[in-house]
Amino acid sequence: MDINYQFLIKTFYLVLAAVPTTLNITAVSLLIAMPLAFYLAVIRLRPGKYIQIIISGYITFVRGTPIVLQILIIYSILPSFLNSVAKGFALEVNVFDWNPIIYAYIVFSLNTTALLCEVFRSALASINKGQLEAALCAGMTTVQAYRHIIVPQALVVAMPNICNITVKLIKGTSLAFLMTVKDMTAVAKIAASYGYNYIEAYMDVFAGYVIVCSVVQVAFAFAERHVGKFRFIK
Amino acid sequence: MLKITNVHKKYNDNEVLKGVDINVAKGDVVVILGPSGSGKTTLLRCINFLDHADQGEMEFDEYHLQMHSATADEVRKIRQKTAFVFQNYNLFQNKTVLENVTAGLIIGRNIEKNEAVDLALKALAKVGLSDRVNFYPSQLSGGQQQRVGIARAIAVQPDVILFDEPTSALDPELISEVLGIIKQLAEEGTTMIIVTHEMKFAADVATHVIFMADGNIVEEGRPKDIFQSPKEERTRNFLRRVLPQVEYNI
Amino acid sequence: MRPFNPQFILDVIPNLLPFLWVTLSVVLGTVFFGSLLGFVLARAKLSQKPLYCWLADGYIYIIRCTPSIVLLFIVFYGLPKFCLEVFDMDINGYEKIFFVLVTFTLLFAAPISEVMRSAYEAIDHGQYEAAVSIGLTPWQAFYHIILPQATVVALPNFGNSVIELMKEGSLAYTIGLVDLIGKGQLIISQNYGAYALETYLPLAFIYLLLTLGVEKSFLRLEHAFSRQKKAA
Repeated sequence: MDINYQFLIKTFYLVLAAVPTTLNITAVSLLIAMPLAFYLAVIRLRPGKYIQIIISGYITFVRGTPIVLQILIIYSILPSFLNSVAKGFALEVNVFDWNPIIYAYIVFSLNTTALLCEVFRSALASINKGQLEAALCAGMTTVQAYRHIIVPQALVVAMPNICNITVKLIKGTSLAFLMTVKDMTAVAKIAASYGYNYIEAYMDVFAGYVIVCSVVQVAFAFAERHVGKFRFIK
Repeated sequence: MLKITNVHKKYNDNEVLKGVDINVAKGDVVVILGPSGSGKTTLLRCINFLDHADQGEMEFDEYHLQMHSATADEVRKIRQKTAFVFQNYNLFQNKTVLENVTAGLIIGRNIEKNEAVDLALKALAKVGLSDRVNFYPSQLSGGQQQRVGIARAIAVQPDVILFDEPTSALDPELISEVLGIIKQLAEEGTTMIIVTHEMKFAADVATHVIFMADGNIVEEGRPKDIFQSPKEERTRNFLRRVLPQVEYNI
Repeated sequence: MRPFNPQFILDVIPNLLPFLWVTLSVVLGTVFFGSLLGFVLARAKLSQKPLYCWLADGYIYIIRCTPSIVLLFIVFYGLPKFCLEVFDMDINGYEKIFFVLVTFTLLFAAPISEVMRSAYEAIDHGQYEAAVSIGLTPWQAFYHIILPQATVVALPNFGNSVIELMKEGSLAYTIGLVDLIGKGQLIISQNYGAYALETYLPLAFIYLLLTLGVEKSFLRLEHAFSRQKKAA
């Protein structure tokens, strides 16, 4: 099978140069989603309120629809919506000049929040109630008990799932090109379109994702060992 | 020092406490006995607000409060004056032995770290675990874990320590190491309220014995009186069942 | 901003629904072929030969790191070229759905092999030994004793994988397959980009119903199986 190796190598560097964009979207989305998801998870653990219905509806929607549809929906309404808001306030900004990565942040953090919320909720629920009671008896406030006792333990339980969600998120960012973000996929697509070298270009993207995901998974394995050091051999 | 009156508590339709009074003076060792389901543990948990009583009054030194409407601030103050030793230890799994003991001091009471470590090491020496300070709970035996639980309780120098069946999760051969420490505390004049099923131990350490059944206090008094000449039929039945071999001769 | 047109949603649904079967064929076809390949992979992972084990592990790992859309493009652009040069076979004219099925079979096989393997390992080895001890052949022991029990264990995770597959399958439109979303995109471009939201919302709603439907069906199956187990 004839492969244009020169193109393959040249494009690989181009793809590598776009790795920061992928990591950028991933990191920002996680940073937004983590606290939000944690807060929602705490709310979900409290008994019946209307807000529960809203949160579980949101989670059902995110988990029940393809992320590509979520992207298409957000990208079809948000820019013009923001534009009319800006106009409504008579602001001198042109929303359509904004870097489209903003929409990627929004879509992926909304998506990740819902997935993480479920993970946090089950992780928090898995911590024995006695841990909270013992912390309160030691004179801590509820917030202190969560911060020093409950959350560190829940984090270890949640770690493997957080890793899975992060890998999923990284793979999901391959759709950011639909919002004209110049990520690995977009860069490769553009490079390929000049000479119809699609196979080579996508092989490069493929390699790029395998590398990025591998690094992230190794990092998580280290982190897991670090935060889980108290789970010792018996 | 601590006086609670007329404590009521319901779980759904099940009335667990039906108006219980307790009076504890400094240096008292109050032991609560009774069949399972009699409300002993619930009473203990209500004192520390782990369960919220539906009704009842509490006088604890300068504090005087209604137990069903205690504010978060009042609850915290009461908890700062007490310590709780759990049936299943509830050591903080993510903290070392030393950190378990200092947590209540550093985080809960804002005591400076050096001082907290000093207090913690003293408490750990008392329970004989000075050589385990850097272990995690998962590396300890049940008896050792419970001894850390006791160290965690005494380190904060509470006015009263509440023990909820401290030995019932332990293997028989590990029970004595825990009871020995509690006994030592009793001899030093530590104020304690203890729920237990260990009758010989109860007779040994108690200054005051309370017998509970069905959410009520059936009988209370000096250990000698309760164990040797119980007045109530229910107390006699209970003691006959749990002390068949000793025949009240303690 | 153009006002939202709710009437359009009702008008567009009848145009979309006929393409539901394309989406469903992709899912059903992939579940069938993917399970076969997944079975082979699970078998390899459980095999005594380290080479097979290693190959299966490597495959599962690589797929775990691969975005669906990238594999879809590689298959779509690469497979015809590969077949032409290696087998001298021209598949350029094949239906789009063929490439979609190949891609998602490759993708689906990896997680499903893990589901199968862990379900198999969840069954006590004593079950197999007992079956062989009364004279069943190893294959009979697997088919009559292990498989029925492992199926019950695998059901919840299998259901989740099918839901994931259904959602990922929506990417098929990017190579031009006219399924639900493909048709939606066509409608939007016929309207010169207008009514995008009014088209996407019913699509999201249809997908929501599909995933909830799959979830409920698997719960029912699980329930039925565990009742059987209790009765026995």
